[in-house]
Amino acid sequence: MKLHLAFCETLLFGLLLVSANAFASEERSSLDWLRQVVYATHQTDYTGVFVYQHDNRVETSRITHVVEPDSEYEKLESLDGPKREIIRHHGQIWCYINQQMEQVDSRQGRNRFPSLLPEQISALSSNYRIKEGGSERVAEHTTKVILFQPKDNLRYAHKIWVHPDSGLLLKAAVLGDKNKLVEQYAFTQVQIGGNIDRSWIHTIASNANAASGVQQSVSEDSVSLDGAISHTPPEKSKGGAYVGSGWMVNALPQGFKKTLEIQRHMRGKHAPVTQLVFSDGLSAISVFIEPADGDEDDTEGLVSRGAMNLYHKVVEKNLYTVVGEVPPHTVMQVLDSVRLSGK
Amino acid sequence: MKQEISSLMDGELFEDEAEGLLDRIKHDSSSLMDWEMYHLIGDVLRQPEHIHCDLSARVRKRMQDEPVILAPRGRAVKQKVRAFALSAAASLLAVGMVVWMSLQISPEAAPQIAMQQTANRPVNLQIQSNSNEYLMAHQEFSPSTEMNGGASYIHTVSYGTDEK
Repeated sequence: MKLHLAFCETLLFGLLLVSANAFASEERSSLDWLRQVVYATHQTDYTGVFVYQHDNRVETSRITHVVEPDSEYEKLESLDGPKREIIRHHGQIWCYINQQMEQVDSRQGRNRFPSLLPEQISALSSNYRIKEGGSERVAEHTTKVILFQPKDNLRYAHKIWVHPDSGLLLKAAVLGDKNKLVEQYAFTQVQIGGNIDRSWIHTIASNANAASGVQQSVSEDSVSLDGAISHTPPEKSKGGAYVGSGWMVNALPQGFKKTLEIQRHMRGKHAPVTQLVFSDGLSAISVFIEPADGDEDDTEGLVSRGAMNLYHKVVEKNLYTVVGEVPPHTVMQVLDSVRLSGK
Repeated sequence: MKQEISSLMDGELFEDEAEGLLDRIKHDSSSLMDWEMYHLIGDVLRQPEHIHCDLSARVRKRMQDEPVILAPRGRAVKQKVRAFALSAAASLLAVGMVVWMSLQISPEAAPQIAMQQTANRPVNLQIQSNSNEYLMAHQEFSPSTEMNGGASYIHTVSYGTDEK
């Protein structure tokens, strides 16, 4: 009888072990998918039309991503509403707004910062319950569905539809409380690889060179420049420098790790802005700190755009701005816990 | 007696005679048996395919086995009235629901709700126009950019940009 019991126990333990293993392997494979997604986003040529849905709105855009020997080129065009375009290349971002090209941001001279580090991917399972949800058809392709359910209410749930062959995300949804849709991207048509129009690359490349040429000729004095790039501060300072600013955030949701701390220039700002970035692997929270210059701009408030929430507040002559793909109460909680170390 | 029963069944007796005879049959079991037997013979002659033996006795026995329901008549009526009232209320509710739902779906209602939501939100217009810089600065370091690629920059060129 005793022997029988022991046998049963062994069997039970074995079963538990097997099921635990199966669970772990499922999580591991989901994380492998995620790694593939990150790789594919940068290394794949693709073009397609996608629908972005948020706050009772639907917008249609076309995205084109090509990999050239020097770097990636990416173009995002709006297909409805006013014509808008964003081009990214080599850490530079160009915006076409009102038929005018503006360089809005640049990371030139700085290495591409990987915002999704391998160790962050591994840490995901401590913040999210990861479930594979079978396969679904998106934009004529069969995709694999993976759900990331947060373990607290300080972040959103993420659902992704991965194209298994290429690793591209063909659909991504952010879900809030009670699985309410916060925002969603979905390709309606996508071409992966093959012959993709690259004619626009050359115009961008020449524009980029021209702009940097102008900047070189006037060195760091951009005051006298007119036109679209008059607001653009010199390249060097724009890139931002890594600093240890001494700013701290005490009430971050569990699992958010600091991935970056820089001092940067921002358009329309006189003083450098300190930016701290924290990430839990799927979403990030940026904390911006700058001296409050007493403008009417510096009032308290919350702005929401899809999953992105921004909270703004002046505290002791400093303007704090917290931005992140997290619920409104989280950005507010984070802002209210910003302290200068030693205070 | 048998002759009389036969005459009764054929309808050849006068009313007073028939009543007297029926009264006698009720109190005489052998006459009752005859009465039933004649009826059975008649039935068989008319419908030979439906032959039944002593059906009435069996029906009677079953009737005796049935429990006697002693219920006041009025209550049954009241229950019926109540059931009707309830179903009337339900159908009224259903009509109400349909009306309410059609009001909800009506094209004027949706923008109203949307307007209410925006009104409730403490959005400052200056912040809105200014926020793109922060969104852009945040976007480049966010994992969502790694996963969705440039598509995540939609936040910064979304319609919100034009609501200055």
